[in-house]
Amino acid sequence: MEAANRPRLANGLAHWWRTVRVAYWLGWQVESNWTDPLLFFIYSIARPLGGALILVFMYLVVSRGGQGDLLGFFVIGTAFWPFVIAGMMGMAWGIISDREHWKTLKYVYTAPISYRAYLVGRSLAQATSATAATAITLLFGRWVLHIPLHLSTMDIPYALVSFALGMTSIMALGFVVVSAAMSISGEAWRMPEGVGAALYLVCGAIFPVTVLPAVLQDVAKAFPLTWWLEAMRRGLLGDNTVRSFPWASDARVLVILAALTAVWVAAGVLIFSYAERRARVLGILDRESGF
Amino acid sequence: MSDATPARGLLRTLRAILGRSYPRIIGANRDKSWLFYDTVLPLLGTIAFVYVYKALGAPERFVGYVIMGGATVAFWMNVMWSMAAQFYWDKQGGNLELYMVVPCGIPAILLGMSFGGFVGTVIRAIAIVAIGSLLFNVNYSVSQWPVFLLVFGIAIVALYGLGVTFASLFLMWGREAWHMANLFMEPVFFLSGFYFPVRALGFWAGMGASLIPLTLALDAMRQLLFPGTHPPFLPLGTELGILAGLALMFIVLARFLLKKMEYLARREGRLSLRF
Repeated sequence: MEAANRPRLANGLAHWWRTVRVAYWLGWQVESNWTDPLLFFIYSIARPLGGALILVFMYLVVSRGGQGDLLGFFVIGTAFWPFVIAGMMGMAWGIISDREHWKTLKYVYTAPISYRAYLVGRSLAQATSATAATAITLLFGRWVLHIPLHLSTMDIPYALVSFALGMTSIMALGFVVVSAAMSISGEAWRMPEGVGAALYLVCGAIFPVTVLPAVLQDVAKAFPLTWWLEAMRRGLLGDNTVRSFPWASDARVLVILAALTAVWVAAGVLIFSYAERRARVLGILDRESGF
Repeated sequence: MSDATPARGLLRTLRAILGRSYPRIIGANRDKSWLFYDTVLPLLGTIAFVYVYKALGAPERFVGYVIMGGATVAFWMNVMWSMAAQFYWDKQGGNLELYMVVPCGIPAILLGMSFGGFVGTVIRAIAIVAIGSLLFNVNYSVSQWPVFLLVFGIAIVALYGLGVTFASLFLMWGREAWHMANLFMEPVFFLSGFYFPVRALGFWAGMGASLIPLTLALDAMRQLLFPGTHPPFLPLGTELGILAGLALMFIVLARFLLKKMEYLARREGRLSLRF
């Protein structure tokens, strides 16, 4: 009875991790087994690459074929934004499809597992499907658009830390969106898309936030995604990029990203706990909203 | 006993068209969240692309391009999600089996979906253009309104013809339908030049993209909205002629595929395949 001899915390963590792994596997199956691997790969990269090409051609039309730092800005933004769509919106769509499409939410929820761990696993599975798009977009940027993505000028540790913080903040935001999906009564499946579109506008995904009106710039500063994308650009492109926060040093960007991630993780946990308790009290945990 | 008089032939078809379009024109507006999402979601994306041009320091007409592109997104989303993938939703809801047994037939149902979808979407597209133009102070100078409306009308016929063609193909699919509709978003926005002049793609790529009716429709309408400044892909008359050809082709193709796919779906038992 090895498990019984382990400390309670270690047992809890092992159980939590096992749930994440199984939920990840389930999420991956749901995401990918509707077709063959080749079509799934094409499907995974077509949308992000299409989005990147739109920006590239917008750029080329205006610059008449010139080369500038804004092109690198576009490439990094479009390369990493799929993680937001997949990780944050995907977590919300996971619960909505479990609830209203597959009708499995009640069975998953009443199973002796941590539902939070289950959602993290589903979110990570979705995020995994974004990696191919990210890699292809970066390669396209490096080899076709000649963006200065050189290993010699990258700050790899900075980019890796930023990426880890960014993924954490994406999942924290995912819990907030899931909480909203649990609470609203109609057309919940469209809400994550709305949140994603709003964040796409304010978080400097495809343009520096400096071009936004002042009030939206303040809103942008409150989201870790803005700082994450800024940090990824600095880590991967160094000085060869336009900056959303030209006044902030690289270290300061990372510190603010870490602080905002911590704030949003706490907010995500609190808001999710409240929404979950409210949904159970009102009996609306598996209420359909018109999927 | 129903009060409705039993109808046959054209009258029955017309009633079916009106009946199927009713939930899209009247019903959809009862749920305010639909109105909000259908207008605000394309508008948010549109505004983001406007700011891209502002960051690039582009001339003002590019802002107009983007706003037109945003309105076109509303039509494309309606065609893909509410036409092409509609039978997928109907399978989930159990409506498809009912459509198969009603005496009016599937074509009348699809025509009703198209008509209702068009009316609902045109209202949202006007709202997107109006709000976007007001926000960013865009001016248009339409020199030939009748030609503009002719281009728009033919493009809509071709577009919804394409929607019916896709609907018949999607009839065979389960989950793939949802993913395929998803797939035809950004790649189509790119190929059809939703946010930049399609001429930038080059002649042959542009010609290939012209199979999607919105490609030439957008270019023709931009020629009329921004005369003298928009770089045309093809002369206006040529684009109008090709659009008319596309409209005819998609109507014929839709009719043929619908019969073929309905037969296949019945034979392979896919009409009630939910997942």
